[in-house]
Amino acid sequence: MSLHLLLKSLLRRKVVTLLLLVQLALTLALLVNSLLLAGQTRDKLNEPTGLDLPHILQVQLKPTTTDLRAQPLLGDLLERQLAAVRTLPGVKAVAYANQGPVRQGGNQGNLYDPNDEARTNVPSIPAYIVSPDFFAALGLKLLEGQLPQTAVPLDGEVRSPMVLTRSLAEKIFPNRSAVGLDTSYAPVAAVVEDFFGHLMATEIMYNRIQVAPLLGVDWGYALLINTEPSATENIRQQLPDLLRQIDPNIEIFYIRTLKEQHQRLYSNEFGLATLLGILSGLMLLVAMVSSYSNAHFHALKQQQEIGIKRALGASKQLIFLELLSENWLTTALGALLGVAAALALNKMLASVISLNALSWWLPLLVSLVLLVCVTVATWYPARIATSVSPATATKTL
Amino acid sequence: MEQFFYYVKVSWVSIKRAPLPYALTVFILSLGLGVFFANATFYYQMNSDPLPHKSDKLFYPMTLMVPYECNDCLPPRIHSYSNVQKLSASDIPTAKVAMYSSDGYLRLSSSQAPTPVSIRITQPAFFSMFEVPLLHGSVWSDDKARQELILSKQTAEKIFGRSNVVGEKVLLDDRHYTVIGVLDNWQMLPRLYDANNRNHVNDADQVYMPLETGYDYNYMSNSQSHTFDDTDFRQLGTQGRTGALHQLQFWVQLDTQAQQQAYRQFMDNLVADEKKAGRHQSTPNNQLVAMRDIVRFFGGESADIKAFALVTLLFLGVCLFNASHLSLNRYLSNQYEFSLRRALGASRLQLQQQMLADVLLMTLFCTLCGLLIAWGGVELLNYLWPANRLFGRWDPTLLLLLLGLTLSSSYLVTLYPSLRASFGGLNQQLKE
Repeated sequence: MSLHLLLKSLLRRKVVTLLLLVQLALTLALLVNSLLLAGQTRDKLNEPTGLDLPHILQVQLKPTTTDLRAQPLLGDLLERQLAAVRTLPGVKAVAYANQGPVRQGGNQGNLYDPNDEARTNVPSIPAYIVSPDFFAALGLKLLEGQLPQTAVPLDGEVRSPMVLTRSLAEKIFPNRSAVGLDTSYAPVAAVVEDFFGHLMATEIMYNRIQVAPLLGVDWGYALLINTEPSATENIRQQLPDLLRQIDPNIEIFYIRTLKEQHQRLYSNEFGLATLLGILSGLMLLVAMVSSYSNAHFHALKQQQEIGIKRALGASKQLIFLELLSENWLTTALGALLGVAAALALNKMLASVISLNALSWWLPLLVSLVLLVCVTVATWYPARIATSVSPATATKTL
Repeated sequence: MEQFFYYVKVSWVSIKRAPLPYALTVFILSLGLGVFFANATFYYQMNSDPLPHKSDKLFYPMTLMVPYECNDCLPPRIHSYSNVQKLSASDIPTAKVAMYSSDGYLRLSSSQAPTPVSIRITQPAFFSMFEVPLLHGSVWSDDKARQELILSKQTAEKIFGRSNVVGEKVLLDDRHYTVIGVLDNWQMLPRLYDANNRNHVNDADQVYMPLETGYDYNYMSNSQSHTFDDTDFRQLGTQGRTGALHQLQFWVQLDTQAQQQAYRQFMDNLVADEKKAGRHQSTPNNQLVAMRDIVRFFGGESADIKAFALVTLLFLGVCLFNASHLSLNRYLSNQYEFSLRRALGASRLQLQQQMLADVLLMTLFCTLCGLLIAWGGVELLNYLWPANRLFGRWDPTLLLLLLGLTLSSSYLVTLYPSLRASFGGLNQQLKE
């Protein structure tokens, strides 16, 4: 059994072999890129967020009457809601905020060092207006300075001090402590550890926080609740009734853990990865059907030839191995073509969506998967071929 | 006709003789077509033109009239109230309209539970420019503020239990309004009049309110708003009308090339005059984008659908290759029969007619199976990408396209094998 003879056998069925090669190449291209996208989505879902995602609940809500959406009734409503939520067993901390973290976008503003605007201006930073317990509700670690303990109105005479996340403080005030320094909006009171803010911000971990009363909630607001791990689900179930008991004039849009919120953020990528995964599975199935059909038909057509070989002393194992080798060779050639196709597809997809470049081991891994699938698909037809009797050879005489 | 039925019968007998290879061919081809068609449904609907006779006449103007200096910026996608006033101060457009969207709570009386509604806050020209059908009543007679609303048919039926509610009173966010009109069933898809922030994939609004009333009552945009100065967003009625609080979308109807040219010139002059007056410092960057190009301009095309379209096209290719491969094997298995027919006097033309009967049968089976798979695919896409759910629907054009695609695919899959079976050397084939 030489490579030359195998190639000759394949060339005898040029069209069929060509069709099979194209299929295998395209299958490999799609499988490789699907795996790449799936890995990329998994990486995003596992990226560090600085938050205890599964145990922080976010309630997004809005008063349904205009009076309740503005001060002073809004302040009173928030106080009553916070007080009621604190009484629930398992609640470690609760705070209000004009918006929650781990979002696509929302209320954002710029920020810079007034002494060096051109170099330090950061255009899009999530701007949180929160109650003092916000830091405890998100479990944020204080790095330097002092967290504001009272809410200072944003439209008052005194500027409400600002808390920055570490990476933002380093960006605006590099190589020095930001605490006590002035920004374009307010002086910095403290720096806390980074946490995931908005996906559409200049940087995910850039956040600026001011402890202040909410001026109005026409876009709704968030209650952020840090819970004991064992109590999260129980608290979630009690919240709708509890909040409506305090004041029925509210609409609750959703109650989610930040983990669910994080997953929703990448739902499009997850959807595409799922679809490509399904399609890859179908492509493998199609490739297996093709290999099976090719091997089966070939075995039928070659019955006389196999018979002669058997009559001349070829063992069953040799016939079996010969048929498998033909398919392995086809797969190897298809995989070679597939690497080029995978690179081309990767380039095309990257022009439409965010997709990393291929790593060398991925085509190798997928080629092995393809080889296993093709072997499984050709096993049965190859076994049948070995049962051809040497007497078949006499039919050709 | 009799001959045609004979060919169909022969095809059917041939299928019954070896049903598995045929079923596999149909399955593989249907799979490729179904998956391709499921995604093509979304791609086609999302890229369709809801106003084909007008979408090249409706334009979205944008200028860089903002209180900050930027010399390589695109203009903001949304306008301030004062900029809209300036852009409206021209008789060149056949029609012009400003608008934005907001949220509110609707009910008949304060004792009832409120119904959350989306509100389009706009001007009367909105209804004529975007050809919104009115079922009952009329639209506002001018651009002034008034306590009058127009409801969608579904909203009227939900709140009142009937559609003809012209003259009835409702409470929107604790304020009394009179209903002056009810829209007929209407959903522009894609919703090109509001393409910012990918809003073109959303449902139509439920309530329509005059623009001036929206500003008087401090309705903020629920989609996007920017303050480029110290304007207090709680003072929309006063500061919002003069300051740099951007939240408005603005459309003009320019029916002729001359109008379009004249309006471009008007924008250039306006921006130059404003700069001369010291109201902005940036290098002018005016844009006048046609409605049919607005989604692309705002970068709102669905990248996922596009990427998946590429992949499904590839998958269809693979399935076509595979089905051709299976079909070739099937025809080669039947080659003896073909050769026998030729030996008995059947012409190649007659054999090709037999092949066409095969193609028709395969088209029939593949269309049915393909539609079934496509339906499943659309449901899956709706589940995974719920934001696009409005576009997962079929229309006669789309179904005809599928039929055409299935027919040509079946023909392609059958063409080479049948040619090979009918044109080979007769002697050799009969010996095999």
